[in-house]
Amino acid sequence: MAARYLLYFTAEDHHLYTSSGGRLELEAKFSGDDLGVTAFREYLRGRRGALFAVLADLAGEDFHEEQVPFLRGGDREAVVQRRLAQRYRDTRLAAALSLGQVTTPQRRNERLLLASFTNTQQFAPWLDALEESGARLAGVYSVPLLAPALAARLGARGPRALVVSANRAGLRQCFVEGGRLRFARLERTVEMVPQALALFVRSETLRLVQYLGTLRALPRDGAPLQAFVVAPPGQRAEFEHALVSDARVQFHTVDAAQAQHTVKLRQAPEGTGAEALYLSLAARKPPREQFASSAERRRYFVWQLQRGIVAAGALGFVVCALVGGARWLEVMDVGNRAAAQQREAKLAAEQYQRITSTFPVTETTTENLRVAVLEFRRIAERSLAPEAAFVHVSRVLEQFPQMEVDAINWRLGRAGEQREEAPAAAPGPQGEQAVQFAISGRVNATQRNDYRGITGQVQSFANALASSGYQLARTQLPFDVTSEGTLTGDIGGVDSGEAPRFTITLSRRLQ
Amino acid sequence: MTPTREEMRKLALPALAALALVGAGAALVWSAGQALARAHGQLGAAQAERKQNAERLARIAEEEREVSEKLDVYKQLKRLNIIGEERRLEWADAITRIRTQRELLDLSYRVDRQKLLKSVPGKPGSVDFFASTMSVQLALLHEEDLLRFLADLRDSGNAYYSVKSCTIARTGQAATGTTITPRLRATCEIDLITVIDRGAKR
Repeated sequence: MAARYLLYFTAEDHHLYTSSGGRLELEAKFSGDDLGVTAFREYLRGRRGALFAVLADLAGEDFHEEQVPFLRGGDREAVVQRRLAQRYRDTRLAAALSLGQVTTPQRRNERLLLASFTNTQQFAPWLDALEESGARLAGVYSVPLLAPALAARLGARGPRALVVSANRAGLRQCFVEGGRLRFARLERTVEMVPQALALFVRSETLRLVQYLGTLRALPRDGAPLQAFVVAPPGQRAEFEHALVSDARVQFHTVDAAQAQHTVKLRQAPEGTGAEALYLSLAARKPPREQFASSAERRRYFVWQLQRGIVAAGALGFVVCALVGGARWLEVMDVGNRAAAQQREAKLAAEQYQRITSTFPVTETTTENLRVAVLEFRRIAERSLAPEAAFVHVSRVLEQFPQMEVDAINWRLGRAGEQREEAPAAAPGPQGEQAVQFAISGRVNATQRNDYRGITGQVQSFANALASSGYQLARTQLPFDVTSEGTLTGDIGGVDSGEAPRFTITLSRRLQ
Repeated sequence: MTPTREEMRKLALPALAALALVGAGAALVWSAGQALARAHGQLGAAQAERKQNAERLARIAEEEREVSEKLDVYKQLKRLNIIGEERRLEWADAITRIRTQRELLDLSYRVDRQKLLKSVPGKPGSVDFFASTMSVQLALLHEEDLLRFLADLRDSGNAYYSVKSCTIARTGQAATGTTITPRLRATCEIDLITVIDRGAKR
């Protein structure tokens, strides 16, 4: 974290501190006169762009409560600026602290605590020096503006609390109500022994309580006001002895070291009073309310914008890196799973190779061996030798000696071709292989005009052939006995001697 | 607040840095997404390979039985020269030898150009079945001559003989007594099938 310069601004002299990592270090000390301003200008040379904050701890700080109509945005800003201008002659260092809303019978109002310094001119040369040096002014704070944060750190839980601390500028008393600043005062102190300081704290606290009572800032007959007193180092015992609680005030003495711990201040320069607590808060967690105008803080605003843009980019990168990282983790997981699968696949392949190496040696691959034999068998099943058909015809012919065969036509073809030739037959599905053979012959020892005899013998012969898996596809007689044909006869005529011819067609489907 | 030109210039570098950071982050996410897609692809491929290998391993007993059974047939086809290039000279020699041995009276034949019957995809190469159609005309004394011729042809090997058609008819010539006259004439069409195994080891 970049070091911040904190100018502790008092009525007499000003101390410049740096704050980094919870450590507060005194950088320089400047007198409140022109010599001090000159020295400050000299100090600022070469520190262009450095971050500065001013913490004023002055007696002349005015607090005034006002009510304005409840507004937002530009309207509110305009009303607030008008009220500040009405209240203060110089509004260069003026602030309006919201104290919350209040509802009146007429309208809803916002309570404001207007705050400024009675003499803002004392700041002018110092702020001008910062402006001219190119330093970035984070804000002009006063100790009271930081009091609510310190009260919360010290453990103030009730509705009202008083924070009392012995600063370098004097005894600072801040009245906080509902977590918001209501009033503060600074009482000059001189060097005094711890017991005297403690008694002084008690008397000043009781005076302030009485004053707040007259302002009706404290409820009548209410609970005692909680007062948190930061005792200087090593003086807690004396403070606790002197600060006796009563019906009006309940004192809580906090040791300086303990208070530093609560504001996470690890180291403070020697001789620094309780202002170190406020300086630490101004460095670590400055309040939104401060006195400098936006024009005076412009460089700081641009600096904040620069950091904000880079931070947004870094945030985007971190989000992307997280998403990407998650995906890379998934990639690694998937990669491991893939590697495991590959190992298993390799093991299975090796095992397969080991086993197949014991197989008989082949001249081809297993796949080609398989397809070659399977297809060859398919072709062989679709092939058929004609011998079986010839043997079948020969056996049947032995039973029919009057039949004389002239020709046998054996053919292996498709069932569709068979259908064209023999529509009467029961064909198989289109494309099915079938054996078909046609037997042409003559009928001997029968008169040509004995139609019934010839028909009977041919049909008996055909029926005998239609066995052993063969089906009769067609029988063609020597004459036409159908109604569509012409039948002729020459009874008593001379026989020509030529035997009547027939054709029988058979078929057999291949399995 | 309206930024001045100087302020805009001051904001430009951080804006560029932020853009670079976001761009780098987006590139990181994109590259991780790509790597993830690749990893998923590799996982899918590895799973498929493992499954295939495991299934093949599970089928190995069946495969062994199949190999030993089919190997006998394959060897026989190889021994008969059915697997291999066509041997037309051997066919011609075989027909001449059969005619001489069986004392066939007349035998003429014609072998047509080879045709691809079927190509079966294998691994690493296909198995191609070729057929050459042979037309044979024989003069026979007896139909038994045809059956013997066909049987001898089959036994001669060098191809698988698939008979497509056969016709036997009487010649009608009367026996003279001085010369041997064929009584029958047969015409057959036979496919001479050979196999080329493109995946066979040389």
